[in-house]
Amino acid sequence: MIDSLSDHARRKTTPVAGLYCDFLPQQEQSTVSMLGAILRQLVSRGEIPEHIWGNLERAKEPFGIRSPLLPDMVENLNKTIASLQRAYVCIDAVDELAPKHRRDLLGSLQAIVRASPKMRILITGRPRIDDEILEFFIKAVWIPISPSQDDIKSYLEMRLKGDTTPKAMDGQLRADITRVIPEKASEM
Amino acid sequence: MSSGRQQVIGNTNPSNSLNHLNITNIAAEPGARRDRMLRWLSPLEPEERHQSVRTDRLDGVGNWVLKTREFKKWRDAEDGCVSPVLYCYGNPGVGKTYTR
Repeated sequence: MIDSLSDHARRKTTPVAGLYCDFLPQQEQSTVSMLGAILRQLVSRGEIPEHIWGNLERAKEPFGIRSPLLPDMVENLNKTIASLQRAYVCIDAVDELAPKHRRDLLGSLQAIVRASPKMRILITGRPRIDDEILEFFIKAVWIPISPSQDDIKSYLEMRLKGDTTPKAMDGQLRADITRVIPEKASEM
Repeated sequence: MSSGRQQVIGNTNPSNSLNHLNITNIAAEPGARRDRMLRWLSPLEPEERHQSVRTDRLDGVGNWVLKTREFKKWRDAEDGCVSPVLYCYGNPGVGKTYTR
């Protein structure tokens, strides 16, 4: 989805950011890091806005630079989005975050979309977080995802092509596999 | 991976934060200053994961989602005419991550 949005947005120079929440170790799930990764992708194609430079200046301390703070990060995102026509953000597998980190992230995103409807957020997740999505984004539009028959067919064809012992299977069995499995799967 | 972004972020150690950077370095030439700023924003590198998803993706899978009225409306509608949040839900392995 990130790539098709990027293709679409390129014509309008709209930035697209993505965040994958699976395989993120707990210590890296801090909301400020996740929002920072989104902000970085939104600004990295052009000039970095002055307000973010100012933020870095203020983070300088006698012996180094402290990490960004959450309120600053939210403000940076708000200001950055305000300067854009639109921004797309895709957050994949949000259900894989630890509950506390997930609620913190959703809460910050809620604040950001309330401040500006220019940021369009696409969230994917398992149905077990349905209630949470409803709680934070009561007006969200829902799309149920299940593989189409064509999806399953292309996947099977790919796997059959990679079969290391193709002679073990005759043409009939091969044909049956590519016909029956997509049919049965779509009845599920 | 070959994108320019990776060279910019090129930090393979997630714990390598900027906290120990010498402040005078920040005033170095503009490119380096910019790179450091981008790294300061976050230790996470979702761009890397995106490259591997892109490589493993099977062409066409899940494309029907991109053609739905809901998706197009979320993408294209004027501000205020559509919910800014689109939620795509499904069980593991149905292709949520791998839709182009």
